[in-house]
Amino acid sequence: MLTFIGKRLFQSLFVLFGLSLLIFFIARVMPGDPARAALGFLATEEQVESMREEMHLNDPFHVQYYFWLRNLVRGDLGRSSYTHRPVTTDLIQYIPATFELILFATLISAIVGQVTGVLAGYFRNSWFDGLSRLVSYLGIATPSFVVAIFLLFIFSQVLKLAPGVGRLPIMMTPPRTITGFMIVDSLLAGQPDLALTALKHLILPAISLAVIHIAQEGRITRTSIVENMQKDYITIHKVHGIRTSRIMFKYLLKPSIIPTVTVMGLDFAFLMSNAFLVEIVYMWPGFSRYAVTAMLNKDLNAIVAVVLVIGLTFALVNLLVDIIIMGLDPTVRLRRGGG
Amino acid sequence: MKIKGVWCLIFAIVAMSLVSLLAIGAAENVAVINGYPVITADPATASDWYDTETMYNLYSPLVYPAPEGGVRPHLAAIWDVVDGDFTHWRFTLRQGVKFHSGNELTAEDVAFSMTRFIGMGRGNSGPLGQVTTTVVDRYTVDFFLDKPSVIFPDTLALFFPVEKDLVLANIKTPGNYGEFGDYGEDWLTTHDAGTGPYMMTSHIPGQRLDATRFVDYFQGWSNEGWEPDEVPIERLIFIMETDYTTLMTLLKSGDLDLEINGGWTLPQLQQIKDDANLGLASVWAQNVTVWMNSKAPPTADEHFRKAILYAFDYEGIVGPWEEFGNGETGIFLPNMPGYVPIDPQPRVQNLERARQELALSKYANNLGDVKVVFHFCGGLDFEEDIGLQLQADMAQLGVTVEVAGPPWPQYSAECSSPESTPNMTIFLFGPQATPTQDYYTYSMFAPNGLGWIFEAHWYFEDPEIIELLDATRAEPDTVKRLALYEQVQPLIAEHALAFYPYQKPTLFAHQAYIVGPSETIVFIGPSENMHMWRINLTLKETLR
Repeated sequence: MLTFIGKRLFQSLFVLFGLSLLIFFIARVMPGDPARAALGFLATEEQVESMREEMHLNDPFHVQYYFWLRNLVRGDLGRSSYTHRPVTTDLIQYIPATFELILFATLISAIVGQVTGVLAGYFRNSWFDGLSRLVSYLGIATPSFVVAIFLLFIFSQVLKLAPGVGRLPIMMTPPRTITGFMIVDSLLAGQPDLALTALKHLILPAISLAVIHIAQEGRITRTSIVENMQKDYITIHKVHGIRTSRIMFKYLLKPSIIPTVTVMGLDFAFLMSNAFLVEIVYMWPGFSRYAVTAMLNKDLNAIVAVVLVIGLTFALVNLLVDIIIMGLDPTVRLRRGGG
Repeated sequence: MKIKGVWCLIFAIVAMSLVSLLAIGAAENVAVINGYPVITADPATASDWYDTETMYNLYSPLVYPAPEGGVRPHLAAIWDVVDGDFTHWRFTLRQGVKFHSGNELTAEDVAFSMTRFIGMGRGNSGPLGQVTTTVVDRYTVDFFLDKPSVIFPDTLALFFPVEKDLVLANIKTPGNYGEFGDYGEDWLTTHDAGTGPYMMTSHIPGQRLDATRFVDYFQGWSNEGWEPDEVPIERLIFIMETDYTTLMTLLKSGDLDLEINGGWTLPQLQQIKDDANLGLASVWAQNVTVWMNSKAPPTADEHFRKAILYAFDYEGIVGPWEEFGNGETGIFLPNMPGYVPIDPQPRVQNLERARQELALSKYANNLGDVKVVFHFCGGLDFEEDIGLQLQADMAQLGVTVEVAGPPWPQYSAECSSPESTPNMTIFLFGPQATPTQDYYTYSMFAPNGLGWIFEAHWYFEDPEIIELLDATRAEPDTVKRLALYEQVQPLIAEHALAFYPYQKPTLFAHQAYIVGPSETIVFIGPSENMHMWRINLTLKETLR
């Protein structure tokens, strides 16, 4: 198992190196002048030129990449030309907010999606199956930001059952940042009421993000359940009179959720870069929104950093998914030498 | 029993939600203000108008834009030119001005701040050129310029002195500025060293800035001119939201007190106007400017450019915006001293005249082959509307206009040279540099102007215009200078380098209990200085 993890991490390094090279190049050929963007409107041509020198923009591509790589090895991702702060400071500030949000969204989609999928599969062609199909299609067809606006309007504005925007009410002072996760930090600060408020603020944006994934994962789980129910070993168990619940939990569920777990992993990483519209609607100060701002402002160092973070998330989450699948499926475990 | 438990749980959740909502609704002396993302809170790197808005709250400029134009004393009590060629200026400071630390502002602080401003070479320092300083005494400082400038005092409305000792105590080494390390830039991101009416208490760049009232602010907090219930705002929370649907939600729910960037759509403005609990304040307007590239065919032809001026349907584009103040403008905004109306007058579509101009152009016989490229900043609907209006108008003359909205980085980069600039580009220019007349003339039409998007017409061939523009910067007498501005505008307009669909007032939406500004200063920053705003807590309590 450890060899497998080590090997995968080593492979990931190459992937990240290639990714950095690619995005470094793309960011530099994108239209726009990063020096001008950094200095603002009233900067003179001389000032812009001097900033270009400072940012090594007049150097050949490989020289620019060398400087960037040299600093990266020292743990320095450069300065953001937009926020005027080290990019690492920005990432430390923004990543936990998005992680908290998508972890919660993933949790919701995993529970709701799989329960719906299992029930729909087990009660195939029932009214529940039909209803879940209809709702799933609706969920897949509706963009997250539309769901976000709809939920915000109904539950926050009309019914006033949920708070509006942000991670906490505007007037409330956030707890001291330790992990960056608002709920955890509130609890660490001994403020459970604040943690509860933060949790309430998390519900609507997390559901907005989760809806499409609930639908997808629900459909995949359903298909998998239906497929596995028709397999011989399930029929044999039934013939032998094994209890339905035992068949369900011991023999059917495990192999049926493997495809869903794979998709969940991809969904998690996908949300890192695609949560920005929901983050905008809910004024969520997250990484995804930061990434889009970086792109729009041609913030070179930030662009490369956010792409690397997304790449790293994909690599790590996929590794985690593989480990989970190895746990669920003994054949994979044996094939990969996981004993 | 179980069902009873579920109902109890639901009741508890609803009750908790209501309690928390009521707690938020209590009338506190605080104003939640939306400003676009404050990029930097350091006066030496602050560059665009969002930063300027923050600067006017946390810091004080050396001189202050005046309602009648020009500048008036602020941190500096008096100033004068020392020599005859306008390269040596002496400023005497007001005594007793306190920094937020409690220390007194002195000439040492001003000299250090100017050296830092110029040395860092960023933010709004460009128009000042190279400036060196000498401290004459505790309250007097001399500035030496590298080139004569009669408008030097005016340009100091964007110079915000910092407390020297405080900044020096917080520099990080090594940095980009030799012995001064990072010149305190990192520290000034999340702290302030100013004399402004509000003191920063926390700042998360791009997200939120909190500030509290500085009781010892040198301008004082007099209640003169205010109603008895209108008291100074004790606490400011600047939030940074760019999505106006979200802002509308916040405004309606009472979570937002004031919005100072005015990016509202027409339906949103109508909603705000119809809501008795909300108000709209209009202070400064932006000039919607459509540059015509004089170096790219077919707009290289002056008659062709004039045809565009006459073909455009000005009344059609203003339409429903008129009730919100959109209307006639020119090279200057109409409320600026020195404004001169420019062609076409009256501002109505004149297709006959447009045809005559086209007939005089070198494209008269092949109009069907001509294509005009009109670019706007992607995402700005009102700019696109102007492009589409022009497209429809020019189609009546047989000319094709291609309208496209590339994203800002690409759009702005296109304007870096005449070759890459499309035929037509559209920008919004708000009064953000003093003297504003100079900003709208010299900076936009002189060969040594601001260039880039400010001069995307690329026309610098008329010696008479250049001579007059140079003369505006050499004329110390304000009245005579205004006369020069009046003289140069028709000359510029004669070349049809731009057309001005309308002026667009920036409308600050606010809760009815937020009152201000107490003074109308047509310049970005002073109107957003919260010293000029008050809160009516009685009304707030009633409305909540």
